[in-house]
Amino acid sequence: MSRNSSQAAGRRARNKETTRSRIVAAALALFQVKGFDATTTKAIARKARVAEGTVFNYFPTKEDIALHFLEQEVEHAMATVRANKRLRKAPIEEKLFALVQTQLEFLAPHERFIGAAFVHALTPGSKLGIFSPSAQELQFRYLAFVQELVDDAVRRGQLSAASWWTPHVFWIYYLGILLYWLHDPSPGKQQTLAFLDRSLKIGVAVLRQR
Amino acid sequence: MSATKRPSGSARPLASAAAGLTGNVVGDMLQRLFHSTSATGRALRLAGLTAGVTGSYVGYMAQRMFLGVEGRDTKRRATHAKTGHRIRDELQLLRGPVMKVGQALSLHTDLVPEEMLAELTKLQMEAPGMHPSLALAQFRASVGRSPEQVFKRFDAEPFAAASLGQVHRAVMRDGTCAAVKIQYPGIRAAIESDFRWIRNVTLPAQASGHLPKAALDEMESQIVAETDYVREADHIEFFRTSLKPLDFVVVPDVYRDCSTDRVLTMSVVAGQHLDAFLAKHPSQRLRDIVGSRLLELFYFQVLILKVLHADPHWGNYLFNDDGTIGLVDFGCVKQLGSEFIGRLRKSFLYPGRTDSPDFRRIVQEQFGSPGKKLSSVSQRAVADFAERFYRKVYPPDLKDADRAFDFSDPGFLRDFLRAAGKLARAKGSTTEYIFLVRAEIGLYTTLHRLKARVHTSAIVRRLLAESRKEDGSS
Ligand SMILES: Nc1ncnc2c1ncn2[C@@H]1O[C@H](COP(=O)(O)OP(=O)(O)O)[C@@H](O)[C@H]1O
Repeated sequence: MSRNSSQAAGRRARNKETTRSRIVAAALALFQVKGFDATTTKAIARKARVAEGTVFNYFPTKEDIALHFLEQEVEHAMATVRANKRLRKAPIEEKLFALVQTQLEFLAPHERFIGAAFVHALTPGSKLGIFSPSAQELQFRYLAFVQELVDDAVRRGQLSAASWWTPHVFWIYYLGILLYWLHDPSPGKQQTLAFLDRSLKIGVAVLRQR
Repeated sequence: MSATKRPSGSARPLASAAAGLTGNVVGDMLQRLFHSTSATGRALRLAGLTAGVTGSYVGYMAQRMFLGVEGRDTKRRATHAKTGHRIRDELQLLRGPVMKVGQALSLHTDLVPEEMLAELTKLQMEAPGMHPSLALAQFRASVGRSPEQVFKRFDAEPFAAASLGQVHRAVMRDGTCAAVKIQYPGIRAAIESDFRWIRNVTLPAQASGHLPKAALDEMESQIVAETDYVREADHIEFFRTSLKPLDFVVVPDVYRDCSTDRVLTMSVVAGQHLDAFLAKHPSQRLRDIVGSRLLELFYFQVLILKVLHADPHWGNYLFNDDGTIGLVDFGCVKQLGSEFIGRLRKSFLYPGRTDSPDFRRIVQEQFGSPGKKLSSVSQRAVADFAERFYRKVYPPDLKDADRAFDFSDPGFLRDFLRAAGKLARAKGSTTEYIFLVRAEIGLYTTLHRLKARVHTSAIVRRLLAESRKEDGSS
């Protein structure tokens, strides 16, 4: 491949990425204002200033846009925890706190949409659904990371090997936190911060006792 | 996990808290999930504590906050030391108003056994923290920006514990050092639920009049108000201006644009807490100076400002080798009514006999409610108080005006606490009076620990004169 054409390929890839994020940003803005269900692909295309067909090229359905966003959210949270040097020596409860808190802060501007996505996830057949392959793939990636943190804590002697512990317990806990967060009316989501802190401490203390 | 298994030792408060929920972890979690304040969890934990120790320890503690308990059961001492430990652990975990009760309590050196005092004293200085991730998240959630965006530098680890949170060091963009007090999230709702619970367990004491409902209300409203750091910032600014005449007092400067109701950013005040200060064996001269200044600061506030910066514990003063005194914690500020101060002026340093009709009239005014005669028991309690305590500490005779009172005398403190306890029980003592007594306990305990010799009467006489002049009255 000539130098010129490889440059062109790079440019194309970059353009593609820009278009993708433009579509996602437009969709999220609309989800937040109009709601997930009421938002049409047409409206997304108009807001992103692309043809409706282009939207379909990138994302076959609205759920795919949502899924893409959730993927970003999870990647961002895992990367943030990984990059934080100070956290490396922190106790497991703080690491888990930082992980979930980073996710919530990422989600905060899109609260309304998350509420809708939550409902969608419970609808059979939805791509966001708990048993849809694409959603599960993301969930596994997330839980593998949690498991990594737990394993590390066991290695450091912060936790004894907890036989009944499975990342799925954490997944259910995470969904509970999300629900709590969605319903938290306190300014700055104060109650969620406290709940997250206390429940993680108690949870880890229970694990430690085994 | 078996339902009866209890954790051993007190080193793992979290574990023991979790064990307190044994068998009910899931239920409690669910309740927490759907009950936004987790009132049940706290009540359960406290209930677990009280059941393990005595019938109703917290209620007992709350009572002690206002009342003296005469006669000490030495057999209880061992239990006290043990429970002191456990209580502190639990209190630290709960981090609610009960901790404040603990703080107020640890000033009653005579009322609380020494072993327990030692444990509770720690409560004044150290409380468990939020880990850095939580502190940072709480800052962001409250201020809207992250500390890195606001400050040049920010220490993620706190340097001091506060009763409702913790204090971090920071460097402002212009290079000045700041203290950033960050409140634990969700405190206010937690306090309200704690009080629902405290009200419940103290019902008998309320019914018997030992713990007046008014006192509980006062306590709750003060503690709730104390959670609002904006209000605290207002107080700091008020005191920064009004305490200017006392050049030995240092009050912090508030940085409003990085403060909210849950985050308070202020300049750093130099100085050490009493324990650290005393550990360096300050000279008698320095202790006398500092003691005199504390007394002057106290009565300047009472008689001139008619406002008290007084959460009554010595953790709120920072001492320096040059004799200056730093003030922190302006959450619990009390206005004292002009009438109350007017009456106080009449009885303070009263030169005549305490059994004279004139003095009796003053006492009736001061402690009785209008139209209702003070019982002879109360009358006697007040006269006794005046005779045995105030006359000794503040000799009214001009010829004694230059005498210094030696606060190292343990007897005076015991007398004070006993008499104050009796008086507090006398029906009709106002909440203002209760508050003043609590603050005085803080002052005297601090002076006692300083072993300071103070020209009490001279200082008070000067301030009384100034106070009368300002009000243009007698
Ligand atoms: N401006 C300040 N400068 C220096 N230290 C401070 C300052 N504010 C608070 N502190 C430290 O933090 C501790 C707790 O602060 P305080 O205001 O008393 O908390 P709270 O009233 O909430 O318990 C103080 O005892 C003191 O050691």
